[in-house]
Amino acid sequence: MNDSASAAPVLSVKGLKAYYRTTYFGVNREVKAVDGVDFEVQRNEIYGLAGESSSGKTTLIKTIAAALKPPLEIVAGRVDFSFAPNILRMKSDDLDSLRWRHLSYIVQGSMSVFNPVRRIRQAFVDFAFRHINKPRAEFDKLVDAHLARVKLEPSVLNAYPHELSGGMRQRVTIALATICRPDFIIADEPTTALDVIVQKNVLDMIREIQREIGSSVLLVTHDLGVHAHLADRLGIMYAGRIVEEAPTEDLFRNPLHPYTAHLVSSLPRIGDAAPRKGLEGSPPSLAAPPEGCRFHPRCPLAMARCRTEVPPLITVKPGHRAACFAITR
Amino acid sequence: MFKALRDLLKTNLEFAIGAALISTILVIALLSFFSPYPPMDMYVTQLDLPPGWPHIFGTTSRGQDMFWLLSEAIRNTLVFGLCVAILSRVMALVVGLVSGYLGGRVDRVLMSINDTFIVIPLLPILVLFYFVLRDKLTMGWLAVIMALLGWAYDARLIRSIAISLRTREFTRTSVFSGMSTREILQREHLPYVLPVVFSTTLNNINWSIGLEVTLAVLGFTDINSPSIGGMIYWANQHTAMVAGIWWWIAFPVLFLMMVFIGLYLLAVSMNEYIDPRSRLSRMGGAS
Repeated sequence: MNDSASAAPVLSVKGLKAYYRTTYFGVNREVKAVDGVDFEVQRNEIYGLAGESSSGKTTLIKTIAAALKPPLEIVAGRVDFSFAPNILRMKSDDLDSLRWRHLSYIVQGSMSVFNPVRRIRQAFVDFAFRHINKPRAEFDKLVDAHLARVKLEPSVLNAYPHELSGGMRQRVTIALATICRPDFIIADEPTTALDVIVQKNVLDMIREIQREIGSSVLLVTHDLGVHAHLADRLGIMYAGRIVEEAPTEDLFRNPLHPYTAHLVSSLPRIGDAAPRKGLEGSPPSLAAPPEGCRFHPRCPLAMARCRTEVPPLITVKPGHRAACFAITR
Repeated sequence: MFKALRDLLKTNLEFAIGAALISTILVIALLSFFSPYPPMDMYVTQLDLPPGWPHIFGTTSRGQDMFWLLSEAIRNTLVFGLCVAILSRVMALVVGLVSGYLGGRVDRVLMSINDTFIVIPLLPILVLFYFVLRDKLTMGWLAVIMALLGWAYDARLIRSIAISLRTREFTRTSVFSGMSTREILQREHLPYVLPVVFSTTLNNINWSIGLEVTLAVLGFTDINSPSIGGMIYWANQHTAMVAGIWWWIAFPVLFLMMVFIGLYLLAVSMNEYIDPRSRLSRMGGAS
């Protein structure tokens, strides 16, 4: 991936801040779900985004896809795609024509991914037909061919969603997300509801299709095993910020940020039966995050500086960035 | 479609009974087009003949043949019920889907109107309409008024489903893929609520026929166009029960019961069929 790093990135996010702001009965509440996020995704790359629940992953991808609904607001920063500069300022008509063709997403595997009273074929027509400027007969052929790519029979098209198994349903969502050969795919917890065997098949399929159509993928999941299997580079989110980012292997072998280090050391290893030690405390509330580094109340290396200043995300070595004063000094 | 109906007739007793009752009624209603004389004409037969040949349901004290009068009456009553149901369904669907999907201020405005209609007492209002409009209150206008009063419950029901649909993944995907609000409501949400609407449509026909009969029996409708309630009204005017002309009351009531029970059974059984999930389990897993 290093050779392509010099080329223009497909996605670049700069200083992005997105807050949930509500006013009820005169009380203003602000939840800083995404608070100063910078990262880039290169062409033909799978970028993994990991973090525990309520670390702002979902808000981040909503913002990146410009699918903002009140009370979610952009406070600062910009998001640029190679095919859509400054997507947050785009008109909704332009966005509509962009989505699916250039930017699509693989939805979280669950029962309600598809409309239970519509056949799979109708889902394809509803979501993708408008984005492919081809007559209906040709579109149908395209769908059949594309389903074969995810190893599904064309007969699946005539089924209702409840007639498919979880794995098949997830493969259909992958087919649906990739049928227009988009430049950028957002995958939000694509395998969470599946067992490990099906999970592996589905992940391999995502990789295969991504390689074939040469798109970039932003893979969001809390499951580090999935990231290890699939992601080229990995960003770790904690309480609305990216705390560390590195090529996947580097990050697992050599984590720098204390949070990442704890995360990686909590993973089970074959042959090592020693009980894993959890980190004290729990993630902070994003409505009232701690001052300075948001990890400092739980951090074993916390210094006086961490309580007041926000550590910047600094390149520690080529391709490896971390936001921690204990490392960057 | 025909295969589905055949399977339903075979496997679902409620559907079979309902279909038999309703098709009998429909055949009789269609026969009204072959009536030998205008059904409201009086003194065209002998008076007060009991059921027998050639007047199989007997004749009335006004010299009308019960069978031809009934066939015309049941036709009018069914058409009336259908009109009310269709008009009110359209309103309920639009209000329910829009209100549930858009939410917020639109929802609050629509639902406050909706709740107003729910708490309006029906019978006094309809009687009031009769006293204000008198002769102008034809069956058609009554249908429109009843439709205006009859959509509110179902709009709430549909809204409650739409609220849940709004938060589901496929709705988000639809928005993401660039479908307009109208397309989402029409293509994604409408098919989902249709089974419910179908069942409430049949119930709404029952409800409107029941109310129309109530009004007609009391004389608060256009009593000169034939309807089931109008027949009972005239029977009462001629003290049919006291005079022993039982068939003048019995047959309209019998027909009414056939319509009610038939529609109810159809509503119950069709509802089970239309939902693809319960259809599978009922038909033993064969899709």
